[in-house]
Amino acid sequence: MAGAQRIVVTGSGAISAAGRSPAEIWQTLLSGQSAIGPIALWDTTGWPRSVAGEIRDLQPAKLLGDRKILKFIRRSDVLGLYAASRAIESSGFAAWRDGLEAAAADRYNDRTGMFVGSGGGNYDGQYDYFPLMTAAAGKLEAFGRQLPEVVNPMWLLRALPNNVLCHVGIKYNLKGTNACITNHSTSGMLAVIEAAAALRGAEADRAVVAAHDAPVEPQMLAYYDSIGVVARDRLRPFDAARDGSLLGEGAGALMLETEASAAARGAAVLGEFLGGGAATEAEGLLPIREDGDGPAAAIDAALDAAGLRPADVGMIVAHANGTRNSDASEAAAIHRVFGNAAPPVTGFKWAFGHLLAASGMLDCVLALEALRSRTVPGIATLGELDPQLARIPVSAQAQTPRSDVALVVARGFGGTNAALLLRAAPAA
Amino acid sequence: MSAQAAPRRRVAVTGLGLVTPAGNDVASTWDALLAGRSGVAPVTLFDASGFSTRIAAEVKGFDARARIDDRKLLKYANRSHGFALAAADEAMRDAGIRPSPQDAARWGIAVGTGMMGVDYPTLDALHRHAAPEGELDVGRLLGEATARDPMVFCRSQSTAGVALLARRFGIRGYATSVHTACASGGQAVGTALKLIRRGTVDRVLAGGFDSMVSPIGLAGFCLLGAVSPDNDTPERASRPFDATRNGFVLGEGAGFLVLEEWDAAQRRGARIYAELAGDGNSLSSYRITDSHPSGDGPIQAMRQALADAGATTADVDYLNAHGTSTPMNDRSESAAAKVVFGEQVGQVAVSSTKSVMGHLIAAAGAVEAAVCVLAIHHGRLPVNANLRELDAECEHLDVVRDRPRERRVRVAMSNSLGFGGSNSCLVLRNPEDLR
Repeated sequence: MAGAQRIVVTGSGAISAAGRSPAEIWQTLLSGQSAIGPIALWDTTGWPRSVAGEIRDLQPAKLLGDRKILKFIRRSDVLGLYAASRAIESSGFAAWRDGLEAAAADRYNDRTGMFVGSGGGNYDGQYDYFPLMTAAAGKLEAFGRQLPEVVNPMWLLRALPNNVLCHVGIKYNLKGTNACITNHSTSGMLAVIEAAAALRGAEADRAVVAAHDAPVEPQMLAYYDSIGVVARDRLRPFDAARDGSLLGEGAGALMLETEASAAARGAAVLGEFLGGGAATEAEGLLPIREDGDGPAAAIDAALDAAGLRPADVGMIVAHANGTRNSDASEAAAIHRVFGNAAPPVTGFKWAFGHLLAASGMLDCVLALEALRSRTVPGIATLGELDPQLARIPVSAQAQTPRSDVALVVARGFGGTNAALLLRAAPAA
Repeated sequence: MSAQAAPRRRVAVTGLGLVTPAGNDVASTWDALLAGRSGVAPVTLFDASGFSTRIAAEVKGFDARARIDDRKLLKYANRSHGFALAAADEAMRDAGIRPSPQDAARWGIAVGTGMMGVDYPTLDALHRHAAPEGELDVGRLLGEATARDPMVFCRSQSTAGVALLARRFGIRGYATSVHTACASGGQAVGTALKLIRRGTVDRVLAGGFDSMVSPIGLAGFCLLGAVSPDNDTPERASRPFDATRNGFVLGEGAGFLVLEEWDAAQRRGARIYAELAGDGNSLSSYRITDSHPSGDGPIQAMRQALADAGATTADVDYLNAHGTSTPMNDRSESAAAKVVFGEQVGQVAVSSTKSVMGHLIAAAGAVEAAVCVLAIHHGRLPVNANLRELDAECEHLDVVRDRPRERRVRVAMSNSLGFGGSNSCLVLRNPEDLR
């Protein structure tokens, strides 16, 4: 780590079924009450699976304080825009910039980047074409001819996977280096890793990082169920009776800055990014290796990047999605890296569902809350620990981190795995 | 990180693969780009007769099964994934290297991928069974086979392409899919550069793939009025920097590059086409579809890329422009070139190869990076086809018109400017200049 620029966190934002701020979601985790419940977005009568982490009574216009923008974005974008805005506002950087004279502010904007993890879109976006298809009665000639009269001219723009990047950029006048990563459930973590690398590489001095997803829609749920990964009612990571994951929607965001950028305006520091890594199993879209080779390699890469040893890690926020093979292989990976000396392990998805592209990002936001509170929340839905996974120190009860460093793990389709390490700022 | 003290790792381009509307491999695409032989024609993939734009740059005569000897893998592939697998295969063969079980973890993959969604026949089936009146009847969705078909699901995922490629080649290191609309391919190649530079991996398969030549894809662009309506003269429709330009032409395809850490490439005696020397990225934060007419946004990306490469504007011999042939893009980009190059702007040869192969959307940046590599390798600049009357606002540009130009290229730049405001600029350097 010698000589490396330190990367600090100066703001955070989050929204999920479990709350509309990091603090509120953190309280839900501590309470042991899952926010997952019956789906209300559509009538699930007759559906074999009908439970999710849905954000009730979202009221997007009120949430964003902007009705006009809803013409250009979709539900998932609303969540990302909200969380990113909260991270920016809580960091105070935009307000500070607005006090600069024009040329300095321009330079500041050019040196402010944004990295987004995006779910890439939903199936229901294409349903906007159904009225046209009905009018065309199966004839593409009529489909083309009647198109301008029936479909919203902004259709394509509303469907862009990079909408959060675009609209947060416009709202806060961000001009710097950027990316929109659509890599399923590792999207958010890769956004953090790439943002930190950009800051270390002096491509920017600060970067907003946000990830968002809203997969709670009928066709998505039907597909996830068709591949056998959806639980009946509860998401129970590492439990002997675990029977799958549950979809959730939401977003998380962090404001990352070089230490120098944060210090220049005397910003409060929430924590520090230490390092991250990624690895792929290359077995195809859905298969997962039983031996946990992918997550183990990602954790090794993150430790290596951070210059830390396994013994330095104080707690682990596992991917813990509740499916039989993901949890088992993740436990194998943790054992491979940490042996019988793993720090307290937990996971958060039981409380608000699997946010896919946003899941790792929200876990990072909450890992900082955990470190700052010196508390590893229990997995409240854990009844009987799977005896085959007994070597992993998970608990339904809260545990205490053994250091100020958290490891966060995310895993996605395509056998992709990401891991990163965060440190809490010393208490003021 | 202790590596910071060491000299920066350089990145070599050692393999190329292309599937484009101009040709189904590198050689045929390059020939068409030099000749200015347009790949634009009336749409054949579906009945576009009712659309305001009925032309596109389709990939022609492509047979994924003839190119990829893995039937099982292809079951998980949509049209754009077929292009990707074929182009990546060509790039790997061209480089003469593949990941081995011993070094698979030191290989990464970075791809620019298109928008998520199901193909039109699937949407049509969904509509007929679950939304005949025009609104989705959720109760009927469960009874519709395609809505529960895991294969349809797999093909529609935004990570489907990267998963297929990682499996095909056994890549076990860092894997990422990015999407910033028309800048996706450029940003993927830029990400790959950084992965090697910072030591995350030693080799990366980098590229982009897309196919929006479908009723929904074409409809989206028709609704925005972004595509040229010149249905009677398809081969003339894409004419970047021409005063009469009136929109882009939708294309499809894939482009891949094999990138290697320089010393590793040299040690194995690889043929090095070019150095991938610099990457610049910016956000325009102006409008969703356009950059500011002043070039603000693209200017920062171009300057960053040059600085990143340790190059100056005087080193640049060729700019492969984003050059979509829309009134706004070409104006803004041309203004950006004027600001970046200043008085030297007339010394930089410029062409937009979209004039021949149309706009490959998420694939465009990667394909055009490969075109820059070929320009360096062959010492020839592809033509900006269809330029008859240079737009007065672009008069300062030295556009390669009428015929390709012989010119040794020291440094080439490739711009990709996306909907959503992301701008990517890549800088490639002649390997002979690195002795």
